[in-house]
Amino acid sequence: MRLSSVSFRYSRRGPWVLRDVELTLDPGSVIEVTGRNGAGKSTLLRLLAGIMPTSRGTIAGRPGVVGYAPDVFPVGQPFTVIGYLEHMSRIRGVSLASTEELAVRLNATHLLGQPLGDLSKGSAQKVGLIQSLMAPPDLLILDEPFAGLDQQTRAELPLIIDEIAASGGIVVVSDHQNQLQNFPGADHWLVEDGAVTSRSGERSQVSAPPDGAETRQAPPSPDGMETPRPSASPSQGDRQPPISQPFAPQSGEGARQVVIEVLVDADDADEIEQKLRADGYLTRRTS
Amino acid sequence: MIHLVRFKLAAYARSHRLLQPMIGLTVMLILFYSTLIPPGSELSSYADSAGLLIVVFAWASRGLLDTEPPTQRLISMTAARGPVREITAGLISALVVNLGMAAIAIVMPLIHGFAAMPVPADLMRGIGLHVLSLSVGTALGALASNAILPSPAVSMLVLFGGYVALLLISLTPVGRFSVPVVLWMRAANEGALDGALPGLAAAALFWAAAGMVFYVRLRRTRP
Repeated sequence: MRLSSVSFRYSRRGPWVLRDVELTLDPGSVIEVTGRNGAGKSTLLRLLAGIMPTSRGTIAGRPGVVGYAPDVFPVGQPFTVIGYLEHMSRIRGVSLASTEELAVRLNATHLLGQPLGDLSKGSAQKVGLIQSLMAPPDLLILDEPFAGLDQQTRAELPLIIDEIAASGGIVVVSDHQNQLQNFPGADHWLVEDGAVTSRSGERSQVSAPPDGAETRQAPPSPDGMETPRPSASPSQGDRQPPISQPFAPQSGEGARQVVIEVLVDADDADEIEQKLRADGYLTRRTS
Repeated sequence: MIHLVRFKLAAYARSHRLLQPMIGLTVMLILFYSTLIPPGSELSSYADSAGLLIVVFAWASRGLLDTEPPTQRLISMTAARGPVREITAGLISALVVNLGMAAIAIVMPLIHGFAAMPVPADLMRGIGLHVLSLSVGTALGALASNAILPSPAVSMLVLFGGYVALLLISLTPVGRFSVPVVLWMRAANEGALDGALPGLAAAALFWAAAGMVFYVRLRRTRP
C-alpha cells in the first residue's frame, strides 16, 4: 500500500491538514501514529481506510478487507450489542462465531445483551474493536483503541494486533497514550504540521499470550537497539523527532524554547509524561 | 449491500423516526379524503396527493439518512468495502421507505376516500405520479440530510424551502424544465395527463436523478 504525494484539506479554501505525504505500508507492518490533538492523526487514518478521498495525490494498493475502529464508538443506536454485531457480521459476510470468540478475548461476553446506549466508554470501545476485527482484516485501522479499556483488554489488544500483523495484515494505530511504544517491530509515526515523520524508539518484547502463541520481535541491532522495520517508511522530511534531541532549550539570539517545570502527583506521572511525549514535547523527571 | 440496507431500515424503524413522516402522511391523507372524491375525479385526486406528498417523502428520506450517527457511517463504509456502497445503500433504504408510504397513499383512498373505484388506467397513472413524487422527495431529503447540512435549522429550511421553491418555479414559464409538480396537477385536472406525462415524467426523473448524483458527489467529501 502506497501513499504518493497525498495532501488533504476539508474544504477548498480550508487549511491543509496533510501535505505531500509519501508513505509505504508493507504487509505485516505495525505502525503507531502519534501527534498532538488536532494534528491530523484521525484524518490520516480515515484516508488510509478509504473513507475519504485525498485532495491531492493517490493511495494505491489498499487491501480489500479493512477493519476500522473509531476513537469514540457511536452508542446512540437502537440495538443491543449482539443485535448490532449480528448486523455487522452479515454486512461483512462472516459468521457470528468469530464475533463471539472475539467477545471472549476482549472480555465482552457480559455486554452482548445490553443496549448500546447503556455502555460505558470502555465497553463501547470493545464493541468497536470487535466489529473491526470480525472479518480478519488485511488493513486494521484503530483510532485511540486503548482509551477506557480495562487492564485485561489492554493487555490482549497488542496480542491481537501482533497476530494480524503476523498473518500479513497491516495495522495502523493512533495511540495518544503510547501503549504501543514498546511494541516489537513497530514503526512510530509522528503527525505534525501537516507532515508525517518517523520516530524510532526503544522496543521490547510483547508479553507472550496465555495460550503460548508466538509473538514477533524485531531483531536487535549490534548496538542493542532493535532495527526499525523497513516495511512502513515515511519518506517525507528529514526532521529529527523531538525526543531524540538533547534536553536543553535553544539559547542565544532568537531562542524560541523554554523549560517549564510542572509538579504532578506521582500516580499520574507516567500518564502525563506519555501524553506530553506523544504531543512532541521533551520531558525529564527530577523526583 | 442488501444487508446494509436492512441494517439501515432496522435502525430507522427501531429509532421511531418513522413516526414523524407517518404522522405527516396521515394528516395529509385525512385532509385529502375527509370528504368522498366523486366518481371521475380519482386521477385528479391522485395527482394532488403526489404533488403535496413530496415534502413528506423528503422528510422521511432525511430522517432515515440521519438515523445513523456520523461515526457509524464511517464504520459502515469500511464494512461494506467502500463509501459508494454505503451511500447507495442509504438512498435505496430511503426509496424503500418512501415506496411503502406511497403505497399507503395509493391504497388508502381505495378503502376510504373514493366514492367509486378508479378505472385501472387511472390507478396506474396515479401510481406513476407517486413514483415521480417519491423520487423527487428522496433526492430533496438526501440533500437536506445531516451529512450534507449538519445544522438542523438549515436542514429544515432547505427541506421545506426547497419544496416551496419547487412549487413556485413550476408555476412559472420555466416550470416544465423544473420539477413540474403544478403542471402534472393541472394536466390531471384538465384530463390531458396522457399527452403530457412523458415530458413531465422525464423532467421530474431528471431532477430527481440529478439531485441524487449531486448528493453522492457531495458525500465523497462529507462521509
